[in-house]
Amino acid sequence: MPFEFKLPDLGEGIHEAEVLNVKVQEGQSIVEDQPLFEVETDKAVVEIPSPVAGKVIKVSVHNGQIVTVGSVMISIEQAGGSKKEPESISVKESIAETKSQNQTAPQGFINKTNEAAPVIATPATRQLARELKVDLHLVKGSGAGGKISKEDVLAYVENQKQSSQASTQSAIGATKLESSLPDFSKFGQVERIPVRSLRRKTAQLMELSWSKIPHVTHCDEADVTQLEHFRKKHAESVKKYDAKLTMTAFIMKAAAVTLQKYPEFNTSFDERSEEIVFKHYYNIGMAVATDRGLIVPVIQSVDQKSILDLALEINKVAEKARAAKTELRELQGATFTITNIGSIGGTSASPIIHYPEAAILAVMKTKEKPVLRNGKIESGSIMPLCMAFDHRITDGAQAAYFIRAIVRMLEEPASFEKYLGI
Amino acid sequence: MPRTPIQLTDKIDYLSILDEHNKVDTSLEPKLSRQDLETLYRYMLYGRRLDERMLILQRQGRLSTFAQCTGHEAISLGVAFAIEKSDWFIPYYRELAGMLYRGWPPEKFLLYWNGYEEGASVPENINDLPFCVPISSQLLHAVGIGMAINIKDDKKVVCVFFGDGAASEGDCHEAMNFASVFNAPVIFICVNNQYAISVPLSKQMKAQTIAQRAIAYGMPGIRVDGNDILAVYSSVKEAVSRARDGRGPTLIEAVTYRLTPHTTADDPKRYRSEEEVSIWQKRDPLVRFKQYLYDNKILSKSIEEELEEDIATIIKESVENEEAIIKKPEINDPLHMFDYVYSEIPPCIQRQKEELAQYLDYKKNPRKRGES
Repeated sequence: MPFEFKLPDLGEGIHEAEVLNVKVQEGQSIVEDQPLFEVETDKAVVEIPSPVAGKVIKVSVHNGQIVTVGSVMISIEQAGGSKKEPESISVKESIAETKSQNQTAPQGFINKTNEAAPVIATPATRQLARELKVDLHLVKGSGAGGKISKEDVLAYVENQKQSSQASTQSAIGATKLESSLPDFSKFGQVERIPVRSLRRKTAQLMELSWSKIPHVTHCDEADVTQLEHFRKKHAESVKKYDAKLTMTAFIMKAAAVTLQKYPEFNTSFDERSEEIVFKHYYNIGMAVATDRGLIVPVIQSVDQKSILDLALEINKVAEKARAAKTELRELQGATFTITNIGSIGGTSASPIIHYPEAAILAVMKTKEKPVLRNGKIESGSIMPLCMAFDHRITDGAQAAYFIRAIVRMLEEPASFEKYLGI
Repeated sequence: MPRTPIQLTDKIDYLSILDEHNKVDTSLEPKLSRQDLETLYRYMLYGRRLDERMLILQRQGRLSTFAQCTGHEAISLGVAFAIEKSDWFIPYYRELAGMLYRGWPPEKFLLYWNGYEEGASVPENINDLPFCVPISSQLLHAVGIGMAINIKDDKKVVCVFFGDGAASEGDCHEAMNFASVFNAPVIFICVNNQYAISVPLSKQMKAQTIAQRAIAYGMPGIRVDGNDILAVYSSVKEAVSRARDGRGPTLIEAVTYRLTPHTTADDPKRYRSEEEVSIWQKRDPLVRFKQYLYDNKILSKSIEEELEEDIATIIKESVENEEAIIKKPEINDPLHMFDYVYSEIPPCIQRQKEELAQYLDYKKNPRKRGES
């Protein structure tokens, strides 16, 4: 019998982990404690070493897969026959199995009698149940040994609500509940992929922003023909610093300068206290698309940095993000966000604000277009800019002025001279 | 009635004997024999290797969540070495090296971090308390024991460990104040590893040191380099002789750094930088002490290899033992959890035990009670 390694609970009550890196291959010989996988749980990225030595027969997981605790990750043919160690692990598993069987066992009994058998729940859960007038004996616990969590109580309440709704609705002829999806498999084959890690965080943040902030998107365009020349002219002189002078550095600087003139775009709306929080620092978030999803590292104090410094930092930050090395503190404290979609394409967009900021600027693809200059049609580089802002904080006219000011800077390269830092 | 400065009677020293560049202050160097130094190294290494092994076991699902001790060895071991076996040693939960020296079998720690209460029961011949996961409650136990020592007049001393996070709790104040007022022979060892899980020391206090609180409690206080086992040992020696003499408690702040996550369920990258960690890796107490022993021709490559091999064997055997122990059905009976807190089970606990027994019984036979 080959040794089957199952994903252990790597933290406290972890249910699953994402496989980041499979470090061994089928057919490979491995030694005890050799790293097998790198996985990410809700808590941390950890390396899993092999409990046994031998030959890898089968790797059952792949990079990016979400694996639940207890599923087989790898099968190993052990060197020198079976040892004591795996046996002792299987004993622990058999205990775990009895536990999970027990979880469902009490149901029938509990539903019938509604008393006597002790309920397993924390004091906080018990209090929640009291507040919601829920009899904990009726709630099915999802935790170890049938332990009831707050989520179980809330799910129970929701369930009760829905079933009472469903019964009234069916009485008046309505059949579907608004939150449930149709059965897609009736129409063809489907696959369900759990929303996890970064995807889940992005989903939550976007939903929060979209539901809280009344967004308005305002678009304008800048003729960056001159700036392109200016940028190319200075690109040579920054090479010695190993820097790449990108358009993003100029746009970021222009945004910081303009934010100082229009401070309402550097705020947050505090709905609890009904105040607008003006921030006297200018940290600009920069949306970076990575293999794992979208992340927004922050460039601190953009108002105090030269364009050369920004170019260097933007490059470093983006590389770090793509290598998944960004630290949490590097994602915090932004006051405004820029998302540059120009390298891909598009003429306009309505971006969603990075909650709880006041605005987000989307930079679209710069294209060669005919422009009228002094009555003559000439070729110009046109960059569309779209900014979504929080209409609770400010109004369309201000947004138009704000973007106009950015456009003016981008159209007059001389305005950047004093910030170059070369 | 002019305004005049009050002359406080105590001042706070900082003690470092063997520094991170391996310079030794020979005027302060404690007189330890070759054998003493070898023993210290052995247990320091033993603590480190067991800690590393336990991390691997945890990642393999063979150990539950646990708190690593890497980088803290000099403190617990320096203290354990400076006291008598009959004295009291009261840990929080990063005193692996010191407790191994006190005679705790390694299986105990494996059992403990696997969730078995049996790992927390104190071996017969040892005068220690088990790990204490609730923060700073052990300080009160320590002072109670210290006050009892005074009543019994048996000349023992108590060494109690706590972190910088515990130093921010109310229990810590109460314990130190009582110890001082009642002149209890307690040595408070604050393992200042700079973080209370993710909260840095700067967000816990504004004062320069934790040691200076001693002045407020009217006891001697000292700050020592917690990665310097010679400094820890010497400062505890001093405090022990005072306590045994009936001169009361001492506060020792041992400054160190948690080189590892808080526990295996923690990701320190979220609250501290890799640069900061790398600075402290260079101050590793084990590396420093090893160099000191090489410089003094106490350690050689062959001795070191022999030690490593010895320790590896002990650890391997202890893991096998522990994994055999936890296979036994009797140790897996959850009703045991009620048995170890009091020497005699009080009625309230007895009731809980019976309730659980009933529940477990009904879980085995769910129909039995459902039908009745």
